[in-house]
Amino acid sequence: MILLSARAGEESTVEGLEAGADDYLAKPFSARELLARVRTHLELARVRREWAIELEQANKELEAFSYSVSHDLRAPLRSIDAFSKALLDEYGEKLDERACHYLDRIRAGTQRMSALINDLLNLSRMTRTPLRKESISLTELARGVVAELHTREPSRNVAIEIADGLSARGDKRLITIALVNLLGNAWKYTAKRPETQIAFGRENKGNEAVFYVRDNGAGFDMAYAGKLFAPFQRLHLDSEFEGTGIGLATVQRIISRHGGRIWTEAAVDEGATFFFTLGDMR
Amino acid sequence: MMIRERPIFLVEDNDDDAELAVMAFHRAKITNPLIRARDGVEALDYLFGRGEHGGRDVSDLPAVALLDLQLPKLSGLEVLKAIRADDRTKHLPIIILTSSNEDKDRLSAYDQFANSYVLKPVDYDQFVATVLQLGLYWMVLNAPPPRKEI
Repeated sequence: MILLSARAGEESTVEGLEAGADDYLAKPFSARELLARVRTHLELARVRREWAIELEQANKELEAFSYSVSHDLRAPLRSIDAFSKALLDEYGEKLDERACHYLDRIRAGTQRMSALINDLLNLSRMTRTPLRKESISLTELARGVVAELHTREPSRNVAIEIADGLSARGDKRLITIALVNLLGNAWKYTAKRPETQIAFGRENKGNEAVFYVRDNGAGFDMAYAGKLFAPFQRLHLDSEFEGTGIGLATVQRIISRHGGRIWTEAAVDEGATFFFTLGDMR
Repeated sequence: MMIRERPIFLVEDNDDDAELAVMAFHRAKITNPLIRARDGVEALDYLFGRGEHGGRDVSDLPAVALLDLQLPKLSGLEVLKAIRADDRTKHLPIIILTSSNEDKDRLSAYDQFANSYVLKPVDYDQFVATVLQLGLYWMVLNAPPPRKEI
């Protein structure tokens, strides 16, 4: 839309553009200038349409790809796992210890790959599902997540502090997944501490709310912090702490879809803190 | 008097998965005969007594059908739709047995009146446990629709 107005001057132009006009032309204007601008806008509209079509195409391809991954990659895995198990069950007596060990390794490999596929699918789902923002209580969500962690490992000695009254606007399902990952990580990486300490709270920086999850766990070397949020990147060995390296990539994607940022502060053996914002709180 | 056990109808294109299902049924001590179709067209040919199954007594319905979603020719959803649209087969209990956990697959399966939607686990022990549960529920606990008089 091009506004044609007798009101000249920078003030009215800015006002018109902010109100949603694509362009602003003060009267009196020449027919040639108007034509040139219309032509430019038509050209821009055409380019935008092309981009939109290309984007939609790319999204469709991504969806088809994920779909195929979920179906086609799982089937052969099931075969590998099941026939290894059948060998163990039906012919275990004829196999020596080493042969059985090999079969166990094969099965462990398939289970790991299966976990990778699931996580990868979840990650791509994070990008594909439409965002439904509502007012949510982060305090309540975090308490639910922690209660679930407790039930899974009731014997852990933990001190968990969740601040009251933390709220935000966001997609409840996605934010829950982010908290499951962040609090789950804090829980996982403090497993070797005599007492696990985890805190979830808010700091105000300027008029922006910054949420954080802090733990006293294994931490990591900040030199590698840049890798942390990329899929499949891990800073610990599987034998130290299990994982597929998808969790924080998922969290980052969720945060960035909300228009927020995520960053971290940590040191080896001194715990880690993950900070995040959730964009526009209005 | 001999009561012939009603068969389980397995619609599965993947030979490995079909063999694993047979093994799992065996382990779960489910002895009903198993009839298998390899794609959507074959599944409907069997149920409607067409093609190579021409002349089959169509009123002789399986106890339950295990239906994969990804099938050659006609998809599982299309098969489901055709089964529900035909008076002779519309009450057949149908369990979708699939690797897909996509929301849209689950939704369309229930939209087309699947009786149940079950994920095929990758882990074989879980697969056997799943088949055992399915067998117990659908062969023992669940009362099937009465046979139609023709």
